[in-house]
Amino acid sequence: MIFDSLPSHLALEIVRLLAPEEKMLLTANSDLTEDGKFDEQWIVVTNQRILTFYPNRDGSNPLIELPLEEIKGAKTEVLVGGGYIEISTDRKSISILHFSNSLVDKFSEVVRGIQQLSKGEKLRLSPDRPKTHCDKCRKRLPEKDGICPACIKKSAVFIRIMSFLKSYWKSVAMMIAVTLVGTFVNLLPPFITKHIMDDAIVPIGGVILTTSQRLTILVWLVVALLGVRVLASLSEVSHGRLAALIGNQVTADIRAAVFRCIERLSLAFHSKRETGAILSRLTRDTERLQDFLIEGLPYIIIEILTMTGILAFLFYMSWELTLWVLIPTPILVVGGHWFWRKMRPMWKRSWSKFEKLYGHINENLSGIRVVKAFAQEDGEIVKFNRHNRAAMNAGIQADRIEPGFWAAINFAGSIGMLLLWLIGGKHVIREEISLGTLIAFQGYMWMLYGPLEWLSQVNQWMTRAFTSAERIFELMDTVPESYDLENAIPLPEMEGKVEFKDVEFGYDKSKPVLKSVNLTVEPGEMIGLVGKSGAGKTTMINLVCRFFEVDNGLLEIDSIDLKKIRLEDLRGKIGIVLQDSFLFNSSIMENIAYAKPDATFEEIVEAAKIANAHHFILAKTDGYNTIVGERGNELSGGEKQRISIARAILHNPKILILDEATSSVDIETEKQIQEAISRLVKGRTTFAIAHRLSTLRNADRLVVLDEGKIVEVGNHAELMEKKGVFYKLVQTYQDISKAVAYAE
Amino acid sequence: MTKQIDLKSIRLFYHPDGKPRLIIKDEKCYLSVKAVYAAPLSHPSEHISLIDDKGEEICMIPSLDDLDVDSGEVIQKELNKRYLGAVIYKIYSIRSEFGVSYWDVQTDRGSREFVVEENPNQFIWLSETRVLILDVDGNRFEIPDYTQLDANSTKMMVHLT
Repeated sequence: MIFDSLPSHLALEIVRLLAPEEKMLLTANSDLTEDGKFDEQWIVVTNQRILTFYPNRDGSNPLIELPLEEIKGAKTEVLVGGGYIEISTDRKSISILHFSNSLVDKFSEVVRGIQQLSKGEKLRLSPDRPKTHCDKCRKRLPEKDGICPACIKKSAVFIRIMSFLKSYWKSVAMMIAVTLVGTFVNLLPPFITKHIMDDAIVPIGGVILTTSQRLTILVWLVVALLGVRVLASLSEVSHGRLAALIGNQVTADIRAAVFRCIERLSLAFHSKRETGAILSRLTRDTERLQDFLIEGLPYIIIEILTMTGILAFLFYMSWELTLWVLIPTPILVVGGHWFWRKMRPMWKRSWSKFEKLYGHINENLSGIRVVKAFAQEDGEIVKFNRHNRAAMNAGIQADRIEPGFWAAINFAGSIGMLLLWLIGGKHVIREEISLGTLIAFQGYMWMLYGPLEWLSQVNQWMTRAFTSAERIFELMDTVPESYDLENAIPLPEMEGKVEFKDVEFGYDKSKPVLKSVNLTVEPGEMIGLVGKSGAGKTTMINLVCRFFEVDNGLLEIDSIDLKKIRLEDLRGKIGIVLQDSFLFNSSIMENIAYAKPDATFEEIVEAAKIANAHHFILAKTDGYNTIVGERGNELSGGEKQRISIARAILHNPKILILDEATSSVDIETEKQIQEAISRLVKGRTTFAIAHRLSTLRNADRLVVLDEGKIVEVGNHAELMEKKGVFYKLVQTYQDISKAVAYAE
Repeated sequence: MTKQIDLKSIRLFYHPDGKPRLIIKDEKCYLSVKAVYAAPLSHPSEHISLIDDKGEEICMIPSLDDLDVDSGEVIQKELNKRYLGAVIYKIYSIRSEFGVSYWDVQTDRGSREFVVEENPNQFIWLSETRVLILDVDGNRFEIPDYTQLDANSTKMMVHLT
């Protein structure tokens, strides 16, 4: 298994060191030496021994050489900021290779490999590790396994964004037309003014016109100007409205597509990404995209068209003068670029100081009780003043640069104006160009300079919008959970026999949580899962629900591989009552009927009665219409649990997963809940993570897990007699209860 | 509560198997001991806790001077092995792109390049001028006083303060 390829010269030299039958099986490089220096080290594992090298110091002379047969154990030891591989032999334990935090995943796998080889097993490592560098440009990825912003093919993303416009092609066509008309129309006024000057007010060309003729021309030109202005306003309004319409529609479409994808993605995906990260794709990224589509893109297009139009007019009127007028433009572009580059970090800094300030205020107000209880008001005021001052200083430093910049830009622009008067005026005096032309030039000049300092930002702006778009597309492209796999076996009638055959699983492949689990559960049997926290109980349940898939071994329902059963049928026949009874913010009725939205009211009430919930629901003012609040916070713990049980009852599953909540409730409520649970589990194959003694006693069999393995199986009486692991667990639990009682 | 141990009766040494051992005179011998700083950021080199292989504290040592020289050396060596942070003494470049910054620095452990997310949580300010930087992998880099770096490096840091 090649984690990293040895540089060829080193590889050649190492091959010479190997025995005739010896082969390299694993090579990897590390970034840390034994004394913590940043330097390259290599580990090479062959079928006979482990070798480490420090090429920059010792070349191909091995640092450490260890025969595989001497190895009794291998593990990674975690340090602060890195770790090392520790190998134990009969006589001692030695660290053979150090590495920084950046390489922890890789070396966990390496150690697994060493463990396998030292036991004489075949090398069996998982090839997938999160990508940290872009495959194409080798730059570091901002997010592991994420997209590389440097490699985004802007054109590809652009085309994809535009493909969302297809359904609105009529509006888009209209918008393009409006844009063209509007841009052209905006270019006309200085041109018309030129004619007002040259034809009416100060006629040129030796043509003699009467006063009334001149007045007529003037009036018509002014009317034309009015018409142009009206047309310009109209097109501006319709352009804006069309942009708002299309922009919003397209982003809504993208949001819908993203949400659809998110809902359908497997639980494995959701547990890898934090809710916050996914949420920000839906909100922040789509917002950025929307801004770009509504304002950014139209603005860029209009400005480019406008500038092209202006330059065309200017060159047409006087190419010489145009060149003079263009002199300040490089200053404006470069100046703009410099300004934004300087300002962006300043704004970021200012913004983060303000965030700290608001964060402090927020925290202070939330914890005001604590502040007062410990009489720390004065201390808090001092802290606030510090944050306040820091924010103020950051704001001053950022804000005071701006006026200077704008003044400089305006000054540069006015240089252009001066040049225009000087050179242009000279031409007019020499009668080389008309006064009207000069006036027109003035009008166009400011229209040209205006957007220039923005030009340098277009690239940045587009990159940010495209990065957002790409992040959204990445989500949309992730393969969803196989709801409709082609060869999925339908299982409309499930009996409920569950078999674990040599099952191995770990959320992180290098750290298995379940190791070699074998268990057969007959239909209708109730299994109580017992063990310390982290033993693997919740994991077993997650596998039965197929929220995750086994790494090795087989999990079967009714003798069919779980992976092959149609997911719809599977999930339809499995019901869960979780530790945290998550309820949605709607009515009690809707929550109970969540899995069966077309249930009749009578069915809902029946389920509630079985769950001992009917009584307290009726006691509420709105009865079954009572809104439970976000996450069910309008209900008490006991009430939530029973609604959760009613939900499972209505679902009527063949296999039931019960992850008992340990919330403390009064004795009466506790009795009710116990009764509800015992009714719920009747006739269903049940996996219960048990906390209550009653649940343990009622289980047909108890399965005791310890560090991912099943250590004891039997009913309550048998296991207590055995005086094994289970017995000890119960004793500890009882001791704690006694100890707590004494303390009180 | 760990009972008070007379620090003068403690001795640490390395066993031939490579692991450090602790002996409390006439009382106990610990076959495996780990040294950790109780407050590595605010009190480096003080308040060192010695932990046994079950993760329970054997005793806390206010300062290495409270022990004999050899034992002190053993502890210091173990501490150096455990804390792999690097101290930056020169910044070659900081390049900001796409929400992360790419750093190229010289540290007391050699030169290194790393990536930092542009997120204030990645910079832990221990004083007005002392900062701990966490890169995207959780590696730690310390700048004890950024104003004491060379002019270029200091300039680059100002944006981040």
